[in-house]
Amino acid sequence: MSFFAPLFLIGALAIAGPIVFHLIRRTTRERTIFSSLMFLQPTPPKLTRRSRLEHILLLIFRCAVLILFALAFARPFFKKPIVESSSSSGRRTIVLVDVSASMRRANLWADAREHAAAILRRASPGDQVALWTFDRKITPIVTFEEWNRAAINARAALALDRLATVSPGWASTRVGDAVLQAAEALGDSTGNSPKLPGQIILVTDLQEGSHAETLQGYEWPKGLELAVEILKPKRANNAALQLAGDTDEAGPRTNAAVRVRVTNAADSKKEQFKVSWMQPAGKALVDPPVQLYVPAGQSRIAAIAVPSAGTSNTTIAFNRLLLQGDDEDFDNTVFVIPPAQAKMSVLYLGNDSAADSKKPLYFLQRAFQETRRQEVKVQLASPGAPVAAAALDAATLLIATDGLSTESARSLHEQIAGGKTLLFALQNASAAAPLAAVLGIERVAVEDLKPASYAMLGEIDFRHPVFAPFADPRFSDFTKIHFWKYRHVDASTIPAARIIASFDSGDPALFEVPVGKGRVLVLTSGWQPEDSQLALSTKFVPLLYSLLEESGAPAPGVTQYRVGDVLPFSALAAPAAGTNALIVRGPDGSATRLTSAETNFSNATLPGIYTVEDPGGRKLAEFAVNLDESESRLIPLQLDEFEKLGAPLAHNSPSAVAQTATKIRLRNAELEQRQKLWRWVILATFALLLAETWLAGRTARTIVTQGAPSS
Amino acid sequence: MTLPPNPESSSSLISPHALMSIRNLELRARVVVEGFWSGIHRSPYHGFSAEFTEYRAYTSGDDPRYLDWRVFARSDRYFIKKFEDETNLRCYLIADNSRSMTYGSTGYTKAEYARTLAATLSYFVYLQGDGVGLLTFDEDIREYLPARHRTGHLRNLMLALEKPASGKTTNLGAPLKRIAEIVRKRGLMVVLSDFLAPIEKLERELSALAACGHEIIVFQILDRAEVKFEFGEAAMFQDAESGKTLFLDPSMARKDYLRKLESHCAHLRSTCQRFGIALYRLTTDRPLELALFDFMRERMQRKRVLNRRVQQPRAAGANLQNAK
Repeated sequence: MSFFAPLFLIGALAIAGPIVFHLIRRTTRERTIFSSLMFLQPTPPKLTRRSRLEHILLLIFRCAVLILFALAFARPFFKKPIVESSSSSGRRTIVLVDVSASMRRANLWADAREHAAAILRRASPGDQVALWTFDRKITPIVTFEEWNRAAINARAALALDRLATVSPGWASTRVGDAVLQAAEALGDSTGNSPKLPGQIILVTDLQEGSHAETLQGYEWPKGLELAVEILKPKRANNAALQLAGDTDEAGPRTNAAVRVRVTNAADSKKEQFKVSWMQPAGKALVDPPVQLYVPAGQSRIAAIAVPSAGTSNTTIAFNRLLLQGDDEDFDNTVFVIPPAQAKMSVLYLGNDSAADSKKPLYFLQRAFQETRRQEVKVQLASPGAPVAAAALDAATLLIATDGLSTESARSLHEQIAGGKTLLFALQNASAAAPLAAVLGIERVAVEDLKPASYAMLGEIDFRHPVFAPFADPRFSDFTKIHFWKYRHVDASTIPAARIIASFDSGDPALFEVPVGKGRVLVLTSGWQPEDSQLALSTKFVPLLYSLLEESGAPAPGVTQYRVGDVLPFSALAAPAAGTNALIVRGPDGSATRLTSAETNFSNATLPGIYTVEDPGGRKLAEFAVNLDESESRLIPLQLDEFEKLGAPLAHNSPSAVAQTATKIRLRNAELEQRQKLWRWVILATFALLLAETWLAGRTARTIVTQGAPSS
Repeated sequence: MTLPPNPESSSSLISPHALMSIRNLELRARVVVEGFWSGIHRSPYHGFSAEFTEYRAYTSGDDPRYLDWRVFARSDRYFIKKFEDETNLRCYLIADNSRSMTYGSTGYTKAEYARTLAATLSYFVYLQGDGVGLLTFDEDIREYLPARHRTGHLRNLMLALEKPASGKTTNLGAPLKRIAEIVRKRGLMVVLSDFLAPIEKLERELSALAACGHEIIVFQILDRAEVKFEFGEAAMFQDAESGKTLFLDPSMARKDYLRKLESHCAHLRSTCQRFGIALYRLTTDRPLELALFDFMRERMQRKRVLNRRVQQPRAAGANLQNAK
């Protein structure tokens, strides 16, 4: 027999009461009437050695009543054995082990392996466990199928052996993505028969930069819980070195200094740091290093001067900066490759002088300013004569205004058909013939128009790549640009013309006509003040650069990447290299061969300097890969952050042991409810009470005496 | 006058237990009185002077006109009685009828004993030709019969005595005060009670009663168990009057109880002595003849004292005259 509430059995100890009363009050039921109690004082009952129990049967009845009451409250029931199939017990668990760069800190990886080992070893035979590692992406180490296939007593060893071959990398942490993927895998019922409850165990340092925000709004599968085992580093003083980032507005080719940011952790006790250029072997290239004072929780930006090359013949590459002064060195190195300046040329065909401030060329030249990332040169060519092929080939964008001869227009037409882009800004109605020649059509009607006051751009196709940068409502207002004059061109008579922008009168302002592989963009007004306010507006320069980019201008050279970034093939080498195979050498000397058929390079897994070579070994380019900045934000997240994101944390739900206990308790409750043995016990108690009352009345009748003394 | 021997050793006395078996109170009283008379002559009380004011044994030369033939009829003895009209005694029996008197360990209660004694005394006094009255009380006065010597009065008195005890407490002061107010002429007051109540409350009334010139005799009636407190086992003791109970181990309480009882009785004794009141303590196992004897003796002693007071001034006066 079992008891649902066994604590009530303690009430059975109350039988001591009747036993004691039966010993000390054996004569108290006798009542002696005396004439007056004025000379008497009460005396306490005494229990002597000669005290003995009287009315044993009555005592037994009373004790039995108390015991039965206690039994009834304890709610007895008979347990029935329940057979549970072993396959129905257990859980489906995915163990996610963090292998991001922040796990490279002193003791964390060893702790992670210990935690994972403990988790794997305590898996029961009914459990299905998968072991995954994660940083920016998931890497399965042991799948459910492999786990189930292995012998029960060899499963943990299999997983641990595989985990021993893994070590933290340099990638950033995407804990949110990893958990979501694991949740999706557990929520997928395929292969989960019978349906086992799911659990994700996260073994991680859960640093601030783990990117857990992707868990927001996720609808968790029912029954799934998330357990987080947070690893704590032994050392807390950490400062990070990151590139501060150049702006394109920085002066042309100013490689005299590299801007870096030193960020000190909020819980750091150290404030003095040093930054210096370092050789791969760890030897400082410049002595003394730059001293920096950064209080805890703050950051400082410093410009580290790039020393000029030494007097020796060897060229020293100043591409590695090292921070010293904190306890963790995984984020203390920054690799720097200055971006290569892209050179482009714009060929201008017009009769105006660059010094004439009323003419288009004046504004055009001032729009293209040289920066660190690109240099745009405006080449001039006479519009009256055919332009040399070399000049046309070299130009990224062709711009024609007035004075274009028909013959030049025809030669331009061939160039454009080869893949060039021409911006033809119509200055007057006489541009009709050259326009028709450029477009390769017989004729096009061009008419000068002067609005009563001014015209504005009324309709713009922001889907077109030229105007796409202005699609944001903050930048899409062109109404402030007034057009005093423009040329009316009936674009409907031009085959394949696509109106990109039109005036408020409905006349086209800018339309595009494909010509062979290239295209002609016809601007029906000039940008000089005589025609419009376009050159004077803030939209002129970005519009030109947008045109330039659309013309196939090479993107500004990106030479800084982060670990895990996927680089497009085109970014690795300039298209002008004319190669369709590349070899990318990593900082560890590994070589990855890429052909143009492969669009991406995804092997940037180590921080360092990567070189791009052609198959002949000629170095084409270099780029640097650095640690993601988020990996340096090491303060651990609080678990309630996960709760705020809606994750079903395991501490809110009972452990497996607690759940088993709950299940047993519920089963016992059901058994007890069905059997209701307490009713019979209560009945027996009442029957005993009646018997006791009768016996007490009969044998324990109150004896009222006249005080007959015993002697 | 020599003191009588210990009456308990006399075999001629009627056992109270046997007496109480007589149901009729008047008959009980008669048995005691007549037993008393016969006992006076057969008892070892030889030498006891029967010279008391009311009766005297006939001796040669007495005037046979004063023989009491009723006594002769009962006892075959000749006694000279005084003239009835010379008595004028008013005797009041003040009987405690409270619940404390209902206690008894001898088979009958103190109340029965007191009733019998009161009946005996009233019969005795009535036979003397004196008036006898009754006042019964508990917490209040219950019955009052003025002192009379009439036909039927004794019967009424017996009936009043037979009424059962009641009341939750004993109030001695009130009846004494009442008697003092009612009875103006001097008489004999006989108080029958166990006096198990605070003595302080009746001192004033006793003194007032004594100051009125009444002759007061007090009979304190106690049960043997009250006097000895020889209970054995612990039990819940219940007060007969108030019903209050308390758990008591007699072996632990006895000494203290006896000390307090003795102190209480001593207080009563000293109070009575102070006011010239005769106090007799009776236990319910004592034959009632002895109580009657005590009553008579007390009366004899008082008469003697009175006569001495009367004769001394006369002798002084005669001497004075002779001297002249």
